[in-house]
Formats: sequence, structure tokens, C-alpha cells
Amino acid sequence: MKTITFKQKKTSSIALEFDELIPDEIYTWGESDFNKYEVPIGNSRFPLTDYFDIKVEGEAESPDEVKMIINGDLNRVKYIGCKMSGGEILCNSSVDLHVGAEMSGGTIIVDGNAAAHAGREMSGGYLEIKGNTKEFTGASYIGEWRGMTGGEIIVHGNAGKQCGECLSGGKITVLGNCDILAGIHMSKGVMEIQGDVNRWPGGQMKNGTIVINGKLGRLLEGFVFDEVVDNPDIEGKVYDGRFIKYTGDIGLNGKGTLLINADVNRDKLGEYGESDDEYTSIREYRNL
Amino acid sequence: MAYEEPITDYDEIVENCTCAFCGCNCDDLDYLVKDGHVVGVRHACRLGASKIMEDMDQRLIVPMVRDDNGELKEVDWDTALDKAAEYIANSIRPVMYGWSETSTECMKEGLALGEYIGAVLDNQATICHGPSLQAVQNAGYPIQTLGEVQNRADVCVYSGSNAMNSHPRHLARYSVFCRGFFRSRGRFDRTVVTMDPKFTDTAKMSDKWIGFEQNGDYGFYNAIRAVLKGKELSQDVISGIPKEDIYELVEEMKNAEFGVLFFGLGLTHTLSKQRNIDIAIKMVQDLNKFSKWGLTPMRGHFNVNGFNIFMAFETGFPFGVDFARGYARYVLGETNTIDLLTRGEPDVFLVIAADPGAHFPNKANQHLAKIPVIQIDIHWGPSTELADVVLPGSFIGVECGGTSYRMDGVLIFMKKAIDKPETCRDDEWIVRELKERVMKLRKEPNVAPEYIPNPAAQ
Repeated sequence: MKTITFKQKKTSSIALEFDELIPDEIYTWGESDFNKYEVPIGNSRFPLTDYFDIKVEGEAESPDEVKMIINGDLNRVKYIGCKMSGGEILCNSSVDLHVGAEMSGGTIIVDGNAAAHAGREMSGGYLEIKGNTKEFTGASYIGEWRGMTGGEIIVHGNAGKQCGECLSGGKITVLGNCDILAGIHMSKGVMEIQGDVNRWPGGQMKNGTIVINGKLGRLLEGFVFDEVVDNPDIEGKVYDGRFIKYTGDIGLNGKGTLLINADVNRDKLGEYGESDDEYTSIREYRNL
Repeated sequence: MAYEEPITDYDEIVENCTCAFCGCNCDDLDYLVKDGHVVGVRHACRLGASKIMEDMDQRLIVPMVRDDNGELKEVDWDTALDKAAEYIANSIRPVMYGWSETSTECMKEGLALGEYIGAVLDNQATICHGPSLQAVQNAGYPIQTLGEVQNRADVCVYSGSNAMNSHPRHLARYSVFCRGFFRSRGRFDRTVVTMDPKFTDTAKMSDKWIGFEQNGDYGFYNAIRAVLKGKELSQDVISGIPKEDIYELVEEMKNAEFGVLFFGLGLTHTLSKQRNIDIAIKMVQDLNKFSKWGLTPMRGHFNVNGFNIFMAFETGFPFGVDFARGYARYVLGETNTIDLLTRGEPDVFLVIAADPGAHFPNKANQHLAKIPVIQIDIHWGPSTELADVVLPGSFIGVECGGTSYRMDGVLIFMKKAIDKPETCRDDEWIVRELKERVMKLRKEPNVAPEYIPNPAAQ
């Protein structure tokens, strides 16, 4: 096992790009290799050792045996763990854009917040963000219809706009709240949101499942009420409680599933059953 | 409005000139010229005419460089160009912004310079129709020319656009009031619908006003798509609009012979941004199952579309293109001017034919005040107050010729009508000179060298 510890010496106003410093590339590197390496900053490259003290301990035969620990203020360090396929990266700070983007394996743990595009188009591995994330978590790049296709993202805080955009596999769990259009254009996979959702989750979704445990602001007309289900089982995980199940987005003939907690969203139940016998069971439930 | 006497005191009329104001690029203007100045404009709207009859008090005439006391001092062209080239050649994160009010020929020189020095090239789309361009990349572009609209359209929908104020001749020349081959009675043959939270001047002259609530665009368009798929709406009111009104609107749109959706910043810059345009494009695609429909973004500056078309053709990306690593990159929120400035990254800012001092957020302008700013423009404006080097350019379509792209993507040549002031230079010449001087200072392209991957990892 090789442990590479980065200790920040100074920060830069122009972001450092760490896409080349991933376990796949550096598992054979010793301290002398890091001393020679120049990191891209803007249109130039500067010695990495101007910005970080690097300590290498142990040996590694493959990227999986590498553990990178990055200490310091990483708010201007972007592309951390971008395209990595194995190993572990631990960031002891908030990080800049593109953390874990296009990663296919390994683990990244961010002990802070992440800027936009965290875990974009990742196909495998595990990304844990202990703070909040900004826009496009686990989403797709512009012009691409497939976002995250595999792996798992856990956000302990809140997620920004269009979290899980074009989600095509894997799982995103947000323990806090989500901003608008969570899971827009989703075609596969599972999104679990423990907190509230501002409005319009699952816009134009084709397939997949979104589970919302908190309060839902607004629901799109493209979702059709299906039934009220108790303790739904989604890919082996049972969610306790009663959930209102919708199918949509019918604007796209979508067959996606949207489950929202019935106890928290009693007003949504009230939208049905007022005049139509089809929703008697819901009315009965509401009267309980 | 006070009556204005017609202008009769002029030397000559220059016919069939093209307006250099908005994306309509009206190419039927006549300039009345006296003593080498345009003193009157026929056929133009008031916005276009007031721009073309430029106020010489505000005209930038000679190059200027800011001295140690912070004052702009007049200098000769060589001094100003050398100073600007020095700033650019020594920069690590240069941004070259603007381009929307200059010619496509000038953009060609700008791209060569930007690629050489590893700059970010961006235009006003970053603060206006950028979301439209992102949506077009995802959902396609069901566009038609404005000529088709004039001759065929019987339903014109303006969404988030107050064309009566922003593009005054759009309705008269291309869409609503004009007579066309299949619309011989002009306005009487057309139905106009305005979708806007405000009861705008365009709404006042429309047959129907859909005043959905602010930021309710996405939910409203989603409801239209649901109705087009045959769904009964479950909510009585969607985004502030009663469901009966939505059914009626959908019927009207389905029964159109040729419908067009014109959309403006009211759609691109509300809550869901590019996803508003995405769903509008999808709605137009759905409508094409019933009738013929198209859409056109209401582009603002006369060549803002030109920069996007030019850059997409040359680099694959329409705006916010970053050459820092030696190849083109374009990432939403990372390589756009506003994001870069608010993050405090750029160390040199070249602004050409734009006025960020007037339009950018405070935080972005605060950063501009800290770094060297090079301005290429024809008029004194807030950006001049931020500039360290000022290079007076020329007025495309009036003082020099050039090509531009209309809002529907039609290429238009803008001819020269009068001579530029003696001390001014063409934008194209200025950017080419800058490029050549930067190349003398830097023998090799200033981009991050290519990374050689770890052979053991291969």
C-alpha cells in the first residue's frame, strides 16, 4: 500500500488542474517524480512542489494500492480524481469543480463542500461528499444524454440544481435538500433524497426511480398518479412509510417512478380524490 | 412623441445598408450622409437609427494607455499596441470577451490569437442566449429562416421576449405586420400569442397573452407537452394559468398551418435556464406531429449569432472556449467569462466590441478593476473607465465592411458607407497587429505543454 500525502504550501487564485494526478498515473511515482512534475495552471505549468509538500510512503503494484491524502485549502484545485479507475483519495477540505468526474472505480471522500460537476458522468466507484454540492452533481456534460452510468454518490448536505441530470445508472443519495430539476432526463438508476425538493423533480425522465422523503414543492404535470404504496422496495432497499407513486414524464412517454413520502406531502394527496372515485383509497387514507 | 422634421440637408444617400444594432440585421436601410457623417437613416427603427447616427462626442478617436497616476493618456498606435501585446504575452489566464458587434473576419484573427496564447474566447452569449446554445446541443435546432416566417407563418408566439421594445422592426419586417406570399393580408392573416409574466408592449398588440408566473416556464411547457400527448391536466392552475386556457392554446397551436416560437431572455434566464429551452424545443418537435412548427432565438447584438456559428464551426463549441491546455475545452460554469471573473481567475482581459463595465455583475467588475483590461471599441463607456489600454476601432456596417450572421443564421454582408476617423483602425487590423506583436514576444504558443502519461500505467 502506498500513501501519498499532499500538504499545501500556498494557494493559487487560478485553479490547479489535478486530472493528471490520479492513482492510475502516479502509483509508480516516488518523491523525485513529484519534484519533477509541473501542474497545469491556466495556460502554463508550474512545479507542483511550489504549491504542495509531498510525502510518499510504501509501495504499490497497481492504482488500487494507492491512497492519496490531500490537505489544505482545495477551493482552487479542480479535476481531483477525474477519470480515476482505482485507489482512494481523501480530501480534507472543500474542493473545486469536477471532483470524481468520469471516474470508473476507486473511492473519493471529500471532507467539505464540492463545487459544480461533482461525479459528472462517473461510471463506477464511490464518491462521498460530507458537505454540500453545487450544480450538476452526477450529471452529464453539455450535449451528452448519458450522465452518471454507475457507482455511487453520497452527499451529506444539500445538492444544487439539476442533481442527477441524465442519470443513466448507479445511485445518488442526498441526505439534505435538493434544488430544482433533480433527476431531469433520467433514464436509469436510483436517486434518493432525504430532504426537501424545491420543484419539478424528474422532468422529462424516461425511466429509473426518484425517492423523496422530504417535502416536495411542485410536481410537473407530466407525472401521473399511480398508487399509494407501503414500504416500497427499490433495488433491495426498503423505504419505511407510505409513499405516493407517480409515473412519468408522459411528455416523453416516460416510465420513470417518482415516490414521495405521503406523510410529509399530505397536500399532494389532497389534489386527488376530491371528485373522482378512482382515488377513493387516497381519500380514505387522507381521512385517517 | 414629438414630430420631427424630415432631414433634407444631406449630400448623398447610401442605399441598402445593413443595420448594426440587433439580430434582425435589417438590410434595407438608406443612410443620409453629409460631410462624411451619417445625419439621417431611413427605414431603421429608432434604436438602430440612433446607433448608426453616432454621437461623435463619445467616439473613441485615438489610442490611450493608463499612466501611473491612473489617467488615460493619448499615445500613438505603436505604443498602445506594444503595451497591449506585452500584457497578453505575459498572461497566464487571459480572457478575450466580446466579438458580438464586430465582423466575422475580425473573429478569425481573434481565434488565431486566442489559440496561440491559450486564452478563453467568449462572447455576450454567456450573459444572454448561452442557455439556448446549450439546449440546442442537447435537443436539436428546429429553426427556419425569417423569410419563411414572413411568407408562411400564421401563428407567431413570442415567449419571454418583448420584441416591440428590443427588436422593433422584427414584427414589421419578418413576422407579424408584413405581407407574405401565403399571408397576403399581413397582420390579418396571423395570430400572435405572447407568453410573458409581464403585460409588455408586445403582449398589448397580441391576440392572446399568456401571463404565466415568473419562473413558471418549465412547468407551463411541461403541461403543454402533457396535453399534446393526450393527458388530462390534474391541476386546475398550472404556473398561474388555468388549465382551460392551456387546452385552448394547445388547440390553436395544433391547428396552425405554420407556427413559429420566438424566445428571448425571459425564457433563457429564468429559473430552469437551458432546460426551459430544452423543453421548448421538445414542444416544437411534438407540435410538428400535428403541424409545421419552428423556433428562433431573439438574438440581441447584430453578430452575436455570428460568433457562436463561427466558433462552433472552428472549434466545435459555440462560446466560452478555453485554449489554456492547447486544445479547445468548454465547460458550463468553468470556462465562461462571468464564472472566471467572479472566481478571480483572469489576469488579463481583452474586451472587443462589448461593454462588460455596464453589463457584468458587480463582483466580476470588481475583478476587472484589479487586472489589466484592453478595450477595442468605438465608444467611450463604463468599460473605458476600467481599461488600461484603449484601442479605437471602427463601426462595422458604417465605417467598414464585414460579414455577420442574422438571428436565423443567414449570412449578411454589411457594406461600408462612410470613412472612419483618420486615427482609428479597423477591428480586424487591430487584432491582427496584436497577434503579430504577441508572436514576436513569444516565439512558441503560450499553452500548457502536453502531458506525457506514465509509461508504467499504459
